[in-house]
Amino acid sequence: METADGPGDRGNQTDKMSGRYIITGLIFLAILLHFSSVAFGAEEILIGLIPEENIFNQMQRHRPLAAYLSAKIGTTLRFTVLSRYGDVMDRFVSRKMDGAFFGVFTSVMAMEMIDAEPIARPVNLEGSSHVQSYIFVRKDSGIRDSKNMKGKRIAFVDRATATGYLFALAYLREQGISDLKAYFSDISFTGSHGSTIYTVLDGRADIGTVKSKIFQIAIAKDPSINDELAIIAKSREFPENTLFLRKDLPQKIRSQIKAALVGMDRDPEGAEVLKSLAALRFIETKKGDFQPFYDVAQKAGIILRTYKYR
Amino acid sequence: MFLINKRTLSLLSGILVIVFSMIPSVSLAAENTIGVIMPGDLPYYQELHRAFMGRLAREGILARRVIVQKPYPETMSLSNTARKLIATDVDVIVAYGAPAALSVVNEQTKIPIVYAAAYEPLMTQIKARNSTGITIKLSISSLLRYLRGLTRISTLGVVYNGNEEDSVLQFREIVKLAGQYGVRVDGVNLTRHQEAKTKLHGLKLDALLLTGSSVAHLAMPAIAELAREQKIPIGSFLLCRDSDAVVTLATNPAEQGEKAAEKVIKILEGVPADKIRVETAHQVELVFNFKEATSMGWKLPMDLVTEATRLIK
Repeated sequence: METADGPGDRGNQTDKMSGRYIITGLIFLAILLHFSSVAFGAEEILIGLIPEENIFNQMQRHRPLAAYLSAKIGTTLRFTVLSRYGDVMDRFVSRKMDGAFFGVFTSVMAMEMIDAEPIARPVNLEGSSHVQSYIFVRKDSGIRDSKNMKGKRIAFVDRATATGYLFALAYLREQGISDLKAYFSDISFTGSHGSTIYTVLDGRADIGTVKSKIFQIAIAKDPSINDELAIIAKSREFPENTLFLRKDLPQKIRSQIKAALVGMDRDPEGAEVLKSLAALRFIETKKGDFQPFYDVAQKAGIILRTYKYR
Repeated sequence: MFLINKRTLSLLSGILVIVFSMIPSVSLAAENTIGVIMPGDLPYYQELHRAFMGRLAREGILARRVIVQKPYPETMSLSNTARKLIATDVDVIVAYGAPAALSVVNEQTKIPIVYAAAYEPLMTQIKARNSTGITIKLSISSLLRYLRGLTRISTLGVVYNGNEEDSVLQFREIVKLAGQYGVRVDGVNLTRHQEAKTKLHGLKLDALLLTGSSVAHLAMPAIAELAREQKIPIGSFLLCRDSDAVVTLATNPAEQGEKAAEKVIKILEGVPADKIRVETAHQVELVFNFKEATSMGWKLPMDLVTEATRLIK
């Protein structure tokens, strides 16, 4: 005797179950596709910029690049300036961004922590794709080296920068200064390289540490700055700000962006955009280019995995 | 033989410890008097003085022991005030601003001097064996840079006082820097603040810059009126609440008041002035006056505003 669960009913049930599975599967697929398109930024690709100079100038300089890349990849690409260096990584992690032009420190953090992919970096008008960190003072400050810095006020950019903090930390440690709070009368973080320059110029701090590129831009804009400031230490060369993209962005988009950047100098329209960025061209960037950072981090006595940069 | 037992010895030691620990407070509690020279009774010096008195009060030094003199900021008045305080035989003279400090130093008194807001380039003249204090550095190039960021400047009016040594040095520095920028400078030498309207009348200026002159700041209402008429911005080296200047770059007066009081306390405790470290004022403020700029119909460039330590709205 067959019960209500007999083979006949079971066959009907199996059919019903299969139908349910198919419907559930289709819904799941639809949800997956929907979120995939959101995650891949099909409507818009959002790229972060670290606040290394005045944010208004920075946005203005990058606007032509956004328009150029949008046209090349067929998707709107937009830049946004992050309020703080530490935020760049947080935003990247929370997937609100598809990529970012990272500075040296945040580049390494992006590779170490979230396995982001380095794409390309600009070559400046002097033909260099590298930057340095400068430690500088006002010429009339009487500060010539670390010995004269005792009791003075120092301005850094942010804990999450190599050129605006970590190199200075390594330099000071090499000079036997590890307790900064005891050595300096005031320690401040200005939030941008540009602000650090003006903080020292105005006399709001005695010593500053800054990225070479921003220092040179400030002098080009106002040559009298060169008469007022003196560089007392320079770091090794680090790669210039590098574009990183999330590895879960479609390979096609990543390749399109890389190709568009690397080929800009051979395209008349791209060459115009490069002018606004004060760059000759973009070059491909690899993980190995960041090795000088690890040497500085070691001298600064920081362990990347545990370093509190926020 | 006279023998002291252990108990007596510990009692005596205890008394000695108490007596020695009381020495500074005995010295401070005595009826010492402090003479203060506050030229022109400017808001900047008023703020400095409030911080000075606040710090003294926390040490239990009463206001009635502080003689405050507010002479007009010109050489004769400052010298007379210095002489008056010397004749009163105050225990320490506190001078606000380099001209006031110089007026006391020039009297060659042995009374200790504590100066505040003294322009550092004048230190070679102010420095004396019986003096200590707080100096200020001013970045003239920065103020000029911020002012140029507000408007295109071909002719800059610079208000100074030929009788105030710090103001004269600043004026010379501005002339030198302005030359590098291709800016012509019209110097307005104010020896009395009442002269402002007459001396500024008819000048065609693109901006006005006020040196650290006390007289120039006494003339601020008249200068501000003219600036509004001509729709030109004012840059200033003296900070005051609700300033008429659109941009001000100045050292914080309160910090200096506190530090000056600390030095006075040390002197009253018996430390010689030349053993007390001369300090440079650290807190520099960059103030943009949004209110003034808006009323004149200007838009302050955001790249300048982001550098501000304070905005007047």
